[in-house]
Amino acid sequence: MHHILIVEDSPTMRSLVVSSLEDLGAPVRITEAASGFEALRELPRDDYDLIVTDINMPDINGLELVSFVKSNAAYRSIPLLIISTEGSERDRLKGLELGADAYLVKPFEPEALRRAARDLLSKAKAG
Amino acid sequence: MSEVEEILDRMRADLADLSDQRARGALEPELANRLFRSAHSLKGLAGMFGFEGMSGLAHRLEDILDGLRMGRLAPDAPALDLLEPSVVLVAGLLERAGSARAQEEAGTEIAALIERIEGALQAPDGAGPPGAGEIDEALLRALTEYEEHRLRDSLRQGRWIHLIEASFEILSFEEGLAELTRAAREVGEVISTLPAPGEVPEAQIRFSLLVATDRDSPALQHHLDHPTAVVRCVHRGAQASAASAQRAEGERSSQGRAAAQQPTPPSRPGQRDHLDHPASGAEGAARSEAKPSEVNRRVPAQQEHDPAAIDDDAAGEAPREIGPELDSLKSISETVRVDIRKLDELMNLVGELVVQRGAIGAIAAQLLADPASARLGRELVKVHKMLDRKLQELQAGVLEVRMVPLRQVFEKLSRVVRRLRRDSGKDARLEIRGGDTELDKLIVEELADPLMHIVRNAFDHALETPAERVAAGKAPEGTIRLEALQRGNHVVIQVADDGRGIDLEAVRARAVARGLIDADAVLTRKEVLDLIFAPGLSTASEVSETSGRGVGMDVVRENVTALGGLVYVDSSAGAGTTISLTLPITLAIIQALTVGVADQRFAIPLTSVLETLLVDPASIQRSEGREFLNLRGEPLALRRLHAEFGLPAPPPEARVAVVVIGLGDARAGLLVDRLEGQQDAVIKPIQGPVRTVAGIAGATELGDLGTVLVLDVASLVEDVARRREAA
Repeated sequence: MHHILIVEDSPTMRSLVVSSLEDLGAPVRITEAASGFEALRELPRDDYDLIVTDINMPDINGLELVSFVKSNAAYRSIPLLIISTEGSERDRLKGLELGADAYLVKPFEPEALRRAARDLLSKAKAG
Repeated sequence: MSEVEEILDRMRADLADLSDQRARGALEPELANRLFRSAHSLKGLAGMFGFEGMSGLAHRLEDILDGLRMGRLAPDAPALDLLEPSVVLVAGLLERAGSARAQEEAGTEIAALIERIEGALQAPDGAGPPGAGEIDEALLRALTEYEEHRLRDSLRQGRWIHLIEASFEILSFEEGLAELTRAAREVGEVISTLPAPGEVPEAQIRFSLLVATDRDSPALQHHLDHPTAVVRCVHRGAQASAASAQRAEGERSSQGRAAAQQPTPPSRPGQRDHLDHPASGAEGAARSEAKPSEVNRRVPAQQEHDPAAIDDDAAGEAPREIGPELDSLKSISETVRVDIRKLDELMNLVGELVVQRGAIGAIAAQLLADPASARLGRELVKVHKMLDRKLQELQAGVLEVRMVPLRQVFEKLSRVVRRLRRDSGKDARLEIRGGDTELDKLIVEELADPLMHIVRNAFDHALETPAERVAAGKAPEGTIRLEALQRGNHVVIQVADDGRGIDLEAVRARAVARGLIDADAVLTRKEVLDLIFAPGLSTASEVSETSGRGVGMDVVRENVTALGGLVYVDSSAGAGTTISLTLPITLAIIQALTVGVADQRFAIPLTSVLETLLVDPASIQRSEGREFLNLRGEPLALRRLHAEFGLPAPPPEARVAVVVIGLGDARAGLLVDRLEGQQDAVIKPIQGPVRTVAGIAGATELGDLGTVLVLDVASLVEDVARRREAA
């Protein structure tokens, strides 16, 4: 069972991401966070196998979340996927520099998200 | 698409503010950023749903607003005038989202607007922002482009840049952080909030706030007045701190305006110098994880208290102080907290209206029956229909307001499991699904205790110790799965564990020992499992601290039944136990089928009625003292309501009606004399002696029918199910 944390402030976008990942083809359990703060609260609650985060969010932004996750020994190994809209290329690059493992540009095909998620999950298993 | 509407509403409000602020010539940075975020979300959503025109236009809006927040566009740039017409156009598009022709027609309008925006954006206003070379790169790493811009802008204005570091309890950090942020915003701008890992206790989280202000570190520290916050100067301002200047002013005039608003910090000049001095920066850095190189060592050229700077600072701060207040007013307008009792009152009123409507329907029927008044009757029927529709909408609206997601309860449970895990040495994970499933607020509240009990039970009694689990070939860590899903008018909540399962022999032995069943009683597997809900039966060999003594599964069943729900248990030895609760979505208003038995009337919740049949008494089969009906090849167990409630039986040869009721997977047929009709009913709990009568859930007022008893479908169905299992 893979446990995925989805961090996205738009409920519509979040439910799209959730429904895409629910059909991953492997058993998944999804925890949703509507903001960076919620994500910070969710992180210590369980072991996550993947984090999917937006960048533009109201409280702390996705980059700050990436920085927190990747500089924290307890969470560093969790693969992290950034989903952001076209136009935020610089922020996306910064995300990768901060340690994010991959990014996906919105709008995306559900299958592209699933492929990215599978990829990251299997890499994490192998590593 | 309601989210898009929300975004558009917010953008309209923000654009109105923007035009005010442009007129005043003072632009609040956060406003531009919020507008940018709205346009950004809009673009994403429109793209996701394939509205290309809308997405393209939102993209251009984003370009304009990005220019504004990044300082590439001046507040008086003509491109900003195109924001409002664009939002109006998008709103129009949304309204006509269903019409392909309208979308096509709007296409040219969009193209024209996009062209104008691109034209307006061609000539960039002003030069790019100055570099932030003096600030260490490490600090800039997690800043978004926008935050970086705000930092550069603040540097250009010669403001002080500080890092405020503070630790909070991880479970409640938001409140404390919000307070600190609010305090910091009173005297400056919070550019970025960074959560920081580090040498803090496990239950704590540390945040660093990057703040631009006109105050120096001691003044900011004093203003914050926070027990754990530590202010560290990252970059000294080009001018004297406003607070220092205020001190100077306060010394000059004891009636000074600024001094009156801002109490003079009780610090000696020497102390301030010490804290602010670059030499102490290294000390501050050593406390945190930051590298000493992050601390800027440049000593500012001037420390003079220039009186001219006071006025500038005061003027510069005025518009900023309006910001947070506006924010809070807006958030109030979007959500309202309401006392549940007020909702109950509303619901009661709706219920009474529903009853009155029933009375009008009855009058209309009477009028129709008499040829002399039939015309009037038809008119009344029309009005009645209209009233009916609107009442249904009202009812649905009030019901919807009462709905809350189960998530709240589930989160409570996950905290409980975490605590149990910490206290017990057992390893278990709680998997949660369906937290978005909504139920009436009252039901959700009443569910908290039973669910808590079930989960604790699973943890304490069902899950084995890690050693036992490994010996049984299972993962050392147990799993408790909590899942909710909606099924029509009911919600099913399951708590499943992968523990040892229920030992049927032990349950049986215990029940015999307690005198609940005879030693030679013949029970089905399901009946034995059902015994765990019997009062006074506990199968755990020891009573644990957390599950407590006395409160058992019998109380769980009692609570759930009181909510009109059902509890089932299923278990397989060695593999685990699943407890399922089936609950109605709401308790408040039900559609009811009224039936007649002798001279009495009963109401049956329509959500539980599967079908109604008229049957010839000859087709009823008898076996072992029980009555069955062959329903499409399946035997349906029957219950005669007159026998249940001690009413006179109909003549044996009369045709009778059977109401097939079902809850979850259980079915039963209720034999009644007459089917009378369908009505809305507000269930009210019965006070007094009737309450204890089995099979009655409550009473309801049904217009001209007066008070009618509502059948407790759960107990009727369950009784039949138990008897059938026993047979």
